[in-house]
Amino acid sequence: MDLNLEHADKQSSRESEQHDPITQKIINLAQLKPKGISDKDISIEMPDLQPIQKAQAINKLLAQGFFDLFKQGETLLYKLKDPSKARTAKGADNEEKIVYTIIEDAGNKGIWIRDIRFKSNLMPTQLNKILKSLETKKFIKAVKSVAASKKKVYMLYNLEPDRSVTGGAWYQDQDFEAEFVDVLNQQCYRFLEQKRDSTKDYLNGPIAEKNATFASSKEVWKFISDLGISKVKLSIEDLEMILNTLIYDGKVEKMISSDGSNFYRAIRPLLDSSGLVKSPCGICPVRKNCCDFGDVTPIKCQYITEWLDL
Amino acid sequence: MSLIFEKLCKNLLLEHFGLIIQTVASDMFQHGPRTLNQMKVTTKHPISKIKESLCVLIKFGYVVYEQTDRGIVYTLDVEKVITILRYPRYMYFVKTFCGDEAEMMLEDVLKNGYERASQIIVKTYQRLEQFPPERRSTVPVLKEKFDLLVKNQFLMRSLCSNTLSDVPTDKPDFNMPSLNVKALTRLIQGNEVDAGDNNIYWKINNDRFTQDLRDQILVKSIAKRIDDNAGELMRQLLYLMYLRTASWADTSIPIPVTEIKEAMKKNFPSILPYLDQYLRIIEEDSSKFIERVGDSGGGQYSVNMKEAFHQLTWVVLENIVMERFGLKAARIFRLVHRHKYIEQEKIQQIAMIPAKEAKHLTYTLLEENYLQIQELKKPGLSTAPTKIFFLFHIDLNQVARMTIEHCYHALYNIIQRRDYEINSNKRMIDKQLRMQTLTSNMKEHGATEEQLAEIAEMMTPSEKLQLEKVQERIKKLGANEFSIDETLFILQMYIRYHR
Ligand code: SF4
Repeated sequence: MDLNLEHADKQSSRESEQHDPITQKIINLAQLKPKGISDKDISIEMPDLQPIQKAQAINKLLAQGFFDLFKQGETLLYKLKDPSKARTAKGADNEEKIVYTIIEDAGNKGIWIRDIRFKSNLMPTQLNKILKSLETKKFIKAVKSVAASKKKVYMLYNLEPDRSVTGGAWYQDQDFEAEFVDVLNQQCYRFLEQKRDSTKDYLNGPIAEKNATFASSKEVWKFISDLGISKVKLSIEDLEMILNTLIYDGKVEKMISSDGSNFYRAIRPLLDSSGLVKSPCGICPVRKNCCDFGDVTPIKCQYITEWLDL
Repeated sequence: MSLIFEKLCKNLLLEHFGLIIQTVASDMFQHGPRTLNQMKVTTKHPISKIKESLCVLIKFGYVVYEQTDRGIVYTLDVEKVITILRYPRYMYFVKTFCGDEAEMMLEDVLKNGYERASQIIVKTYQRLEQFPPERRSTVPVLKEKFDLLVKNQFLMRSLCSNTLSDVPTDKPDFNMPSLNVKALTRLIQGNEVDAGDNNIYWKINNDRFTQDLRDQILVKSIAKRIDDNAGELMRQLLYLMYLRTASWADTSIPIPVTEIKEAMKKNFPSILPYLDQYLRIIEEDSSKFIERVGDSGGGQYSVNMKEAFHQLTWVVLENIVMERFGLKAARIFRLVHRHKYIEQEKIQQIAMIPAKEAKHLTYTLLEENYLQIQELKKPGLSTAPTKIFFLFHIDLNQVARMTIEHCYHALYNIIQRRDYEINSNKRMIDKQLRMQTLTSNMKEHGATEEQLAEIAEMMTPSEKLQLEKVQERIKKLGANEFSIDETLFILQMYIRYHR
């Protein structure tokens, strides 16, 4: 017997469905008493109900999976199930229930099929069947995760997928918009670079000059919004993700101000490009095969020849 | 020691000293410390030739010897041999700091290993006579230039007793003998006189050059990152470090701000109003070259050489990754560096690179050994198999060493190619040399314009064109060696401080 109490508080969200007046009344009663109702409660509420009618109604509700039955002391209690659960239970077997619960627990982040398999201990073919069936009944849905192109995660049908699954502003139909990100990356840098190059605040000393090159993420955000290059509305957090990539490009540094907001500035590299990569052998794709004898040698080398003739 | 390093060293020895010396050195390369007789057996050269070769190598400081019960044992100092590569940079350095004449003098020492001051001055004087009058120098000027070289410790006295056991007590000696200017002039005229420096020989002070090149990198970097004022300040800080700290210490003994102020007042007064600000900017910069180590007496700063080369090495490697594998690969490389250990999925998320591309780049970097991977087993539920995480990270030391090998390989290849370009055009290059000598001889004997034009016509226009092209190529290859060595130097410094 299912003694699960955890959905008791969700009953208010229940959709009303078409029932005959007696069962509807019982359901209404159960909604008022989330902890469960006893036979006695029903008799008090509906004194003229015949015991046989009552038994029929309750049996029907139990069979349809609207009620859970459990024992408290010596009395039997009927408790209303979570609506979606109730619907699942309609014509669903135990395995389906287990899989459903696992997916439900995963929330809007979803869960991979592999993890469902581990948690449910079901055979792959069996699990696939169950997932298919749940999917066609629209209890769950499969969402392509942006984390890995071929990976799908499952979640309840009515949930809005988490950002980590959809990728937020940077994804359209689960496709990463690389070009859009690149353009924003370049534009943000352009903004910061211009800000740096236009500051010539010598009068107030080098620190003032340095500080003047910082821009808040809001400033950058405003610049990008005004450019009008984005079809979707970007948040400041979205833009900070882009600014972050500039930090990893080694072009920008970040400072967190005392009030917790982020400031960014374009920096100059410590060194010019490394001497090694000015050499054909520094960037050569076949260097590993290059030695004194054979087809790839420094003397026959076409890369060097081309570079010499540049 | 890697094969390519050995080949590079042999190549350098061959280029500078010829075949016999190279085979003698190679023998020590292959077998380690050797006695004279052992070398005779393997190299098949007569003892006299081997002795001669060893003599040269010892003079240059590439070989040290030691008395053992097997007799005298000779050892090749490979770290020294590789510095041959750096001679052009030494010359360039001296040229910018002490002028053209000093560069010529240094070149003389580099060619001969060791030399007397009087000889150096005489030879330089005679070489300058070939130039137009405005470039010539007088003996007193040349003597001054030589003094300057010694004062800057680019040259030191050669005691020529490089016995291994002697080395620690072998304190560098920079005492200038008093040279007689009159005697120098007479020497130039071809007379046998004593200029006052019999038996006093000078050799190159490798360590000084290494330190100067090292310091120059720090100054340049700060100037590039911040501005020229900051660069100048960095230069003074390094000088103040030098005054109080052992040459190769990781960090300097604390330098009080008052002293920095004093030094700047003397050398760079325009910075004074903003001195404190500049110190703070350098200190706060992510390059971490200096750190504030105390507040007493207006504050104290310390230069952190070890950290500086740690940071510079990252910059070098990031740049190499960018040039070899592209901007996105460099982004991933930096990202892994920042996070120390990170999963593939996190990488693509933070780097904002499409999953497929990110994976491809990450695995390319892994394959090329710029990234390393680590397995992390995390025991899962009893029913589920153990979950394995693959975390990417960077072993800086390993990547730096690998890149040093890369530099050796590139240098070896470029030198090979340069030799080839020279050899395959040898006939023409020789012809040009002959023509040059002929022309200058004829000029001395008062040849007419016509006669000179006749010599010039010995070379056809197409030959001239070809020659120009070859010379261009040789120059470009030479400059390329110079560039590669810049990268090599920074990485070597890193290894030196992080051994
Ligand atoms: S010599 Fe040519 S083939 Fe060999 S490493 Fe250099 S560029 Fe590559």
